[in-house]
Amino acid sequence: MNWWDDALHRATAEVLLAGALAGLVGVHVVLRRLSFFTMALTHATFPGVVAASIIGVNIVVGGVVAGAIVALGVAALSRHRSQNTAAATGVMLSGGFALGAGLVATQNGFSRDLTSFLVGSILTVSPQDLVTTAVALVVVAAVLLACARPLRYTGFDRVGAQAAGFATGVWDVVLLLAIQVAVVTIVPAIGTILALALIVAPAAAARQWSHRLSVITALAVTFGALGGLGGLYASSRWDVAAGASITLTATAVLALSTVLSRLVRSRPTAAARPQALAA
Amino acid sequence: MDGVAVADATLRYAQVSVGYHGTPVLTDVNLDLTPGQRLALIGPNGAGKSTLIKSILGLVPVLAGTSTVLGRTPSQARALIGYVPQTDSLDADFPVTAGQVVMMGRYRRIGWWRPTRSADRRRVHEALDRLGLADHARTHFGVLSGGQRQRVLLARAIAAEPRLLLLDEPFNGVDAVSQEAILSVLRDLSAVGTTLVLSTHDLTVARELADTVCVLNGRQWAVGPPDETVTADTLRRAYGGHAIELRDGRTVLVEP
Repeated sequence: MNWWDDALHRATAEVLLAGALAGLVGVHVVLRRLSFFTMALTHATFPGVVAASIIGVNIVVGGVVAGAIVALGVAALSRHRSQNTAAATGVMLSGGFALGAGLVATQNGFSRDLTSFLVGSILTVSPQDLVTTAVALVVVAAVLLACARPLRYTGFDRVGAQAAGFATGVWDVVLLLAIQVAVVTIVPAIGTILALALIVAPAAAARQWSHRLSVITALAVTFGALGGLGGLYASSRWDVAAGASITLTATAVLALSTVLSRLVRSRPTAAARPQALAA
Repeated sequence: MDGVAVADATLRYAQVSVGYHGTPVLTDVNLDLTPGQRLALIGPNGAGKSTLIKSILGLVPVLAGTSTVLGRTPSQARALIGYVPQTDSLDADFPVTAGQVVMMGRYRRIGWWRPTRSADRRRVHEALDRLGLADHARTHFGVLSGGQRQRVLLARAIAAEPRLLLLDEPFNGVDAVSQEAILSVLRDLSAVGTTLVLSTHDLTVARELADTVCVLNGRQWAVGPPDETVTADTLRRAYGGHAIELRDGRTVLVEP
């Protein structure tokens, strides 16, 4: 029997790849405060994926198209009143989700049920899905590496980057596309409503340990992969839904990291306190 | 300085209006700067100082009049201009070191994907060293003081070797040590032909550093040598009378 013929083996490979991919883009989501926007993206892939299943095209294509509509929609709605980006994002989020739920309801005997979209179905991952995730990981990593300088400049100092001749709009689109590719790849395995935690939590945890982007990225990828692996293990050990246990593990990684980083940081402060009082 | 550079105007604005969405923020701007000239833009908050600076970069459109920067249109000249933004417009939490920020000044020469060369790293080190920050190359930008951050941003602009340097409120929230370091570097740059344009609230600094002062508030009220422009009369008209306090014949204090 081939190694790939075992569903649990495929699931293990998928969570490692998906966790690494989530951690990788999560760094940029966290640094640029795009969590809510990413949440809207995850929910917007839902109607796209459902529509793609109904008309019989690749669900990744459906997810990408729906995500692109949301990204453009948020950009267009927030252009009119710059302070209302959050409101526009919120409307796109629930509107997209409702559209997906409605589409599922119209289909009798639909091949994938609603729950598998919402919380993922990692144990049904096919070898093709694995290839898709691996390709997405390589492509996103290559793009983020190649564009590291403009992304750093525009993330740190938007006006300065414009003044230095960087087309900030173009680099925004590059970053949003990278995030979207990751979202569309991760959502079928982890689920529409659960994917955000796997994207944000490892990166937020990694941010607590370093001020260097390279270190933060390496940590976030590691935390993401470990969170996925730990969640899958817990899922098979205690027979709970994989999407839920992966999300809970990622959340636990962030909670643990928050406590540990506070402890580590408060220790030298506590030692310095008597000195500070004396001075 | 070579003759061609002197003959070439660095910046020429004639009857220029600038603003957003077709609404002018600033009108009647007339400037004529030559290499090495030091121009201070003064005026109250909202006077249009930052808008004028951004128009020189082509980031805010010129609505009327003619504008030439280094012999081209502002957006074409962008690659030859250095810009020091206000520090509060940055994301100080972003994980970058002082050295990485200064290296950003080299990005345009390196390209966005090619590896850095030793010449780039040397320029970065020199720029940090000139501003007394050679030991802070690996320090996270966010933990630096306001004055140190401003010095890093100036180092970034210098590393790009610009012919025209624009500084938006470079002395805001800056300690005395940093202010002296910045002033000294700016004088050196001017001496080798770099044209300076800076906005400031500080009339003392404007008088001390600039050879030309431009008084702005919605429009250009005066431009010329400090002695002729930083006068009680001009400031009273530009700022509104109540904001001016006179001490003696020459010193003018402005309370924003």
